Amino acid sequence: MSQRWQGLHLEPLWWGLFSAGGVCFAVFVPAAALVFGVLAPLGVIELNYLKLHVWYGSWWGLMFTGTVICLPAFHAAHRIRHGLHDLKVGGGCWSILICYGIAAIVSVSALWVWFNA
Amino acid sequence: MAYKPNLQRTWWLQHRFFRAYMLREATVLPLVFLLCSLLAGVYSLTSADAFIAWQGFMAKPWVIVIHTLALLASFYHALTFFQLFPRVMPIRLGDKSVPAVVMIAAQWSGTLTVIALFLWLFGGGL
Amino acid sequence: MHKEIQIKRYLPEEHAEPFWQTFRVPYDETTSVLGALNYIKEELDSTVSFRWSCRMAICGSCGYMVNGIPKLGCKDFVRNYPAALRIEPLAHFTVERDLMVAMDEFLQHLEAVKPYLIAEPSEPHKPHRQTPAQLAKYKQFANCINCGLCYAACPQFGLNPEFVGPGAIALAHRYNLDSRDQGKAKRMPVLNTHDGVWSCTFVGFCSDVCPKGVDPAAAVNQGKVESAKSMLIQMFRGGA
Ligand code: SF4
Ligand code: FES
Repeated sequence: MSQRWQGLHLEPLWWGLFSAGGVCFAVFVPAAALVFGVLAPLGVIELNYLKLHVWYGSWWGLMFTGTVICLPAFHAAHRIRHGLHDLKVGGGCWSILICYGIAAIVSVSALWVWFNA
Repeated sequence: MAYKPNLQRTWWLQHRFFRAYMLREATVLPLVFLLCSLLAGVYSLTSADAFIAWQGFMAKPWVIVIHTLALLASFYHALTFFQLFPRVMPIRLGDKSVPAVVMIAAQWSGTLTVIALFLWLFGGGL
Repeated sequence: MHKEIQIKRYLPEEHAEPFWQTFRVPYDETTSVLGALNYIKEELDSTVSFRWSCRMAICGSCGYMVNGIPKLGCKDFVRNYPAALRIEPLAHFTVERDLMVAMDEFLQHLEAVKPYLIAEPSEPHKPHRQTPAQLAKYKQFANCINCGLCYAACPQFGLNPEFVGPGAIALAHRYNLDSRDQGKAKRMPVLNTHDGVWSCTFVGFCSDVCPKGVDPAAAVNQGKVESAKSMLIQMFRGGA
């Protein structure tokens, strides 16, 4: 029992989520930022509510949620936690709890929205 | 007898390399804002009125500015991340390792493909 | 040609605080930073202390901060600095005297990762065979000369002196990748800790300053993948 858990911690999990989120931030987020953050608000692209609603309810919507919201959220949480350490701010359990906690809340609420869509 | 200088919290201002590092880490700040906007967006899909309100929010000039920053940040992040990836996970085929430039080019083509896909999909292809 | 060279002095018997001292040193195209220091010691002020030995980037003892960047004195040239030239002891280490730092702060970490072949003795007089492909896997990481420049470049080591650090982790990785070695299980517990590979945020400056092209940052981050695997295996097997 003690042997099994000796020296284990959650760092590999956070790093795995950070890396997966980093890939998504580099591959999927640019497109989402361009379309939803810049082109649609400027009127270059016309978003259609009904079509979006139907599309989001499909499996594509789940993939969108995972790659553009959930994983990048954990990527951001990890960088902010280490960035705080770099600036000699906070540290220890509190940074971990607050950073990943917020990422988890964002992810769960995004998934919750999809399940109810 | 000896002395040890203490690292100041402004250490990253001392050198160009460290400033670039901090800029890389800071790319997540506009990202966080974008994530919240997109979360609000998927939430607003529950009703047409909410969606119109969300579109109104997204069209505010200061919001567009932050989202443009997020777009630029995502490109800067991609630039740095794609360079680091082949060093963390070098791929070997037989005795030869795949050259880093090939892996970097493959990753950029992924990003560009997704942009093309999104433009087609949300620009009327849905 | 002459150059004004500033050196950060520390003489604990005479002054409680470090202070800057300027020397005027003749130089030409071939004068290394170490050459300039040796001129100062021989001709201008014999009390200036610094370490060196090989003069050819092999012994790793002549590391100093030159204009704020970790450099080997023997591999860096005065001609590279048309403006000011300021020499300080390596950053992030305790300074004992002038340009001499307490290298054991790095060597302790190095010792902890057992940077040597750990292998069952083979039959006497039989060589350990290794193919060129097996050699290629770790060769780059074997070029380390333990100079400690990467520690002076690493803000994570500066923030947390317990961090095992780039050079030691690069050497641990070098032996873990060696087909003749069987010591990985002994090294992983050190690398798996918070102060092991997980303190690194891939700043990457260590690899920039490394005089031997080791790329310690790549070693540390490949080490994260290995550490994650090792911890998963421990969890499922119920022991290391
Ligand atoms: S990895 Fe490079 S910089 Fe670090 S101790 Fe070894 S040779 Fe020096
Ligand atoms: S004197 Fe040996 S490395 Fe510079």
